[in-house]
Amino acid sequence: MRKWLFSLSFIAILAAGAFIFSTYSREPLYHRQSYIFGTLVDISIYGEPDARASLLTNQIFSDFQQLHDQLHAWKPASSTQPSELGALNAAFARGRQPVAISPRLAAMLNDATALSVRSQGMFNPAIGQLIGLWGFQRDEFSAVDINDGSIRKLVNARPQMTDIVIKGNTAYSSNPSVKLDLGGYAKGYALDRAAEYLRRQGVKNALVNIGGNIIALGRHGDTPWRVGIQHPRKPAAIATLALDDGWAIGTSGDYQRYFMLNGKRYCHIIDPATGYPVQHTQAVTVLIPPQANAGVLSDVASKPIFISSAGNKAKAASMLGVQYFMVIDQQSSIMLTAAMARKLEWLDSDVKNKTHVKLVTLP
Amino acid sequence: MLIGDWITVIVSAVLIGYLFHTLWSHQHAAKVQIRLGNKIYATYSLNQQRTVHVHGPLGDAEIHIAQGKVRFARSPCRNQYCVHQGWLSHTGQVAICLPNQVSLELIGEKKPYDSLNY
Repeated sequence: MRKWLFSLSFIAILAAGAFIFSTYSREPLYHRQSYIFGTLVDISIYGEPDARASLLTNQIFSDFQQLHDQLHAWKPASSTQPSELGALNAAFARGRQPVAISPRLAAMLNDATALSVRSQGMFNPAIGQLIGLWGFQRDEFSAVDINDGSIRKLVNARPQMTDIVIKGNTAYSSNPSVKLDLGGYAKGYALDRAAEYLRRQGVKNALVNIGGNIIALGRHGDTPWRVGIQHPRKPAAIATLALDDGWAIGTSGDYQRYFMLNGKRYCHIIDPATGYPVQHTQAVTVLIPPQANAGVLSDVASKPIFISSAGNKAKAASMLGVQYFMVIDQQSSIMLTAAMARKLEWLDSDVKNKTHVKLVTLP
Repeated sequence: MLIGDWITVIVSAVLIGYLFHTLWSHQHAAKVQIRLGNKIYATYSLNQQRTVHVHGPLGDAEIHIAQGKVRFARSPCRNQYCVHQGWLSHTGQVAICLPNQVSLELIGEKKPYDSLNY
């Protein structure tokens, strides 16, 4: 009987110890979310007092909200005033009369134009009319009547970023079919701004996630920040990877914004050359090493790879200097670069055991 | 040692092994955190049978918790992406209803990752 008591109290002491350890080891991690840019924004800050982390997060959220109001492609900033982008689009449609734009928007458009040229027009924020025609300039998407004639007309009008002429603080378009939609650029731009702001404020460790696009500062305590990559067809992560200081990751997928029509999936990623949503690819993930515009590249660089056919994906990646990428095609086969493969830790058991999954590693 | 001692040792070892596996392993989540807009709405244990109603900007979302898993059972949004996500049971899994600003995230002892790229 005494021995039983002894064993039981020993176990009880162990349990109490474990409990106390778990209560006292709460780490200095601040975490908050908000809905901006029509998506979920999620910020983690490690190693700052909660009060300071909260102030910094408020500042970032309000900056994002301003960007959102400035750059919204279809919603006015208020009931009487269009967004700055909306006003510019209206001017482009009217003709060649230059209108004033802010230095910030001018810088963004110059940068987006350079990236569009480098991607040979596959990243093309000038096709706002096509995006609208397919019904993706709405808060919620539903199937649209596909009008092949209208699509052909818009493709033949060839709206391009190089049609936009920026001189000083004015801009006009030499092509009235140009309608800007920065949906594939603004979130990345916002990531770079947030990272720069946090660095300037002396924050060493943070993780900023805007609708799935993520940039990392520093680490999560003793270990790097870890990021899960969503499986395009399962409610779980397919793999995880360490996102080191200054790195950014972005995914273009056909599973976040799409509608189904007659059993076919129509996603929001539209090939500017054909005018139709891309249907051969489920997801493209790019990983961008530290550089001044890592956030922008994490947003932009996945699009040309997504749009290109299987044989041309590697070439599209090289246009924007992307070395780390993973493609999941419509058969759920996975193709990735060797550099990317070294970064990933697979979570998905089908991929781990190589069952029903084709895995191709590019040299 | 007596046979009773051995039984105690073996039973304790099995119990500790079992508890370690269920509580420390990142496979199965312990709780679901429900967020509404910018706020944490509630956190529930997954070890129960429960229906939770959350009033988002669009209306009433119905969330089912059922012994270790959770899902959006009903949502007032148009596309129903959140409902189509189905049951979630592993730590780190999320279902987000953007239009209605309601999200579910499974949390446990050890998160396999800090944030999700999608």
